[in-house]
Amino acid sequence: MTPDAPPLLEVRNLSIRVANARSNLVDDVSFSLQPGRTLCIVGESGCGKSQTALALMGLLASPPLSVTGGTALFNGRDLLSLPQAEKQRIRGDRMAMIFQEPMSSLNPVLRIGEQIAEAVRRHRGVSNSVARARALEMLEKVRIPAAGKRLDEFPHQLSGGMRQRAMIAMALANDPELLLADEPTTALDVTIQAQILDLMRTLQAELGTAMILITHDLGVVAEMADEVAVMYAGRIVEIGATQDIFDDPQHPYTIGLMSSMPALGRRSERLVTIPGRVPSATDMPDGCRFASRCPFRIGICARTPELSNPGGSHRVACWRAPIEETYLQPQEAQPA
Amino acid sequence: MLSFIGRRILIAIPTVLLISVFVFFMQKLLPGDPVLALAGEDRNPEILEFLREKYRLNDPLYVQYFTWIGNALQGDLGISLRTQQPVLTLIGQKLPVTIQLAVMALIIAIVIGVPAGIVSAYRKGTWVDWLANILALSGLSVPNFWLGIMLILLVSVKLGWLPASGYQPFLDDPLQSIRTMLMPAFVLGTGLAATLMRHTRSAMLGVLKSDYVRTARAKGLSETTVVVKHALRNALVPIVTVVTLLFGELLAGAVLTEQIFTIPGFGKLVVDAVFNRDYAVVQGIVLCTAIAFIAMNILADALYRVLNPRMRNS
Repeated sequence: MTPDAPPLLEVRNLSIRVANARSNLVDDVSFSLQPGRTLCIVGESGCGKSQTALALMGLLASPPLSVTGGTALFNGRDLLSLPQAEKQRIRGDRMAMIFQEPMSSLNPVLRIGEQIAEAVRRHRGVSNSVARARALEMLEKVRIPAAGKRLDEFPHQLSGGMRQRAMIAMALANDPELLLADEPTTALDVTIQAQILDLMRTLQAELGTAMILITHDLGVVAEMADEVAVMYAGRIVEIGATQDIFDDPQHPYTIGLMSSMPALGRRSERLVTIPGRVPSATDMPDGCRFASRCPFRIGICARTPELSNPGGSHRVACWRAPIEETYLQPQEAQPA
Repeated sequence: MLSFIGRRILIAIPTVLLISVFVFFMQKLLPGDPVLALAGEDRNPEILEFLREKYRLNDPLYVQYFTWIGNALQGDLGISLRTQQPVLTLIGQKLPVTIQLAVMALIIAIVIGVPAGIVSAYRKGTWVDWLANILALSGLSVPNFWLGIMLILLVSVKLGWLPASGYQPFLDDPLQSIRTMLMPAFVLGTGLAATLMRHTRSAMLGVLKSDYVRTARAKGLSETTVVVKHALRNALVPIVTVVTLLFGELLAGAVLTEQIFTIPGFGKLVVDAVFNRDYAVVQGIVLCTAIAFIAMNILADALYRVLNPRMRNS
């Protein structure tokens, strides 16, 4: 890491709210990303990780969702306050996004080649044939077999993994500096997942693209991330270098998340689960949002904890952190 | 594509035959006697019997049917009891009029209805959406005869811009022909535009929420490109369905509108024929309309395959 270099993306206090909700869906989220690095945002569905990425792209479903506060400096310009025309100029060019469902994310009535080429034409102002040549080059780059033939095929003629490769080709066609990937492998077969992750890593190294990878899969995190932000109910509860967080998770939610990951050799035991459920997006509790499910809850948890660095290695938003290893015996964890 | 259309036409043949049977026998079930209608006040039994023999109405029904369908297959739909003209000639006179009216009405409906539907879906919940919906509701609620009469009063009588009635064959004088047909086409078209607007709106609402529209926006495309190239193309299948159905309906004639603007079209022909028990004419018209409907359906299916690549391999 080069802490001195200016970050490519610096998100500060991003908040998103559903119209008429009592509290924020995404609350006070801050993180930064250096060029060429990978940040994984992990958390269970509904924790606001996708909405965070969509807000950066300016693609929030609004209404009912809207950004209610914060800034997101991308190369020094605030993405959240740019006028529409400026946003359109940046997205698809300097920053791009790939989505979870490769089938529904590609337009069923347009040929693959055209769907890639139109992004190139739009941002580079090149002719049809140049854009088409670029589309072919990108399809070859994402290692789609018989790329020349695929150019003129429709999405339904491609397999799921192939479609996601095409999505990646589309997103990277203009050499973006930042790639947002929202659960890019979740809808794919396990064998294909590994191939796609491998491809993304290779291309990232080759092109120097920074990446925000959104996932709920800690295996993917371990594989891909330089840094990790753990989100729970709209807030970042723990953030730091991947190694530090895996070695020394400090927030009770992160600890729960890690121990709920099935591992070889523990098959006789029951899977560890976190008791209780995520609070509803429209009715978040005051204070620590994890408190109702937390075995370490004390009185002060009714106040919102700030991200701080009690253990010395990374930042965590918990009054009880760092939680000593000795507390972590399964028999001590009791349902709230 | 050609083999697809060929197959569809082959499949349509039994359908047309079935319809012909249905039409023929349904009509015989209707009360009333064509000979009585033809003879008018003169109820001399000998004359009635002579007429029955002449038109072979004394033959068994199945013989009548096979005679009729056999002739129909050779392009002879019989003779009108009323006017003594061949039915095919009558239809040949009226059909171009009705087709012209239908095409013009449909163009007006598409030009108004589709953009209105797109805009109201895109601006859902805003005043534009409300306005479009109110206009659509009015378009559906205002009866054609009232709108027609009001238009004649305003545009023809007061302003003198367009002729109030009449018909000019298109090939004789295209411009004048369009001018005389403009008001009736508008009256029919506005009603259809409302239907079309509602269908376009609901199709677009679904498509605008889809993932691929989000992808198109993520590419930084302009909103016009997103809406027209990515969204509308996907919404076209339901729109095409409605348009072809509406066209089929229009071909069956628009009796009231034709009456108001005194257009010599299909609608008037069929009503006269039914009231006069002019069997041959009614059968001929219904058969033609049925064939037109089937043709529109085949056209719609062919268009689906153009619009939706997923249907091409099936």
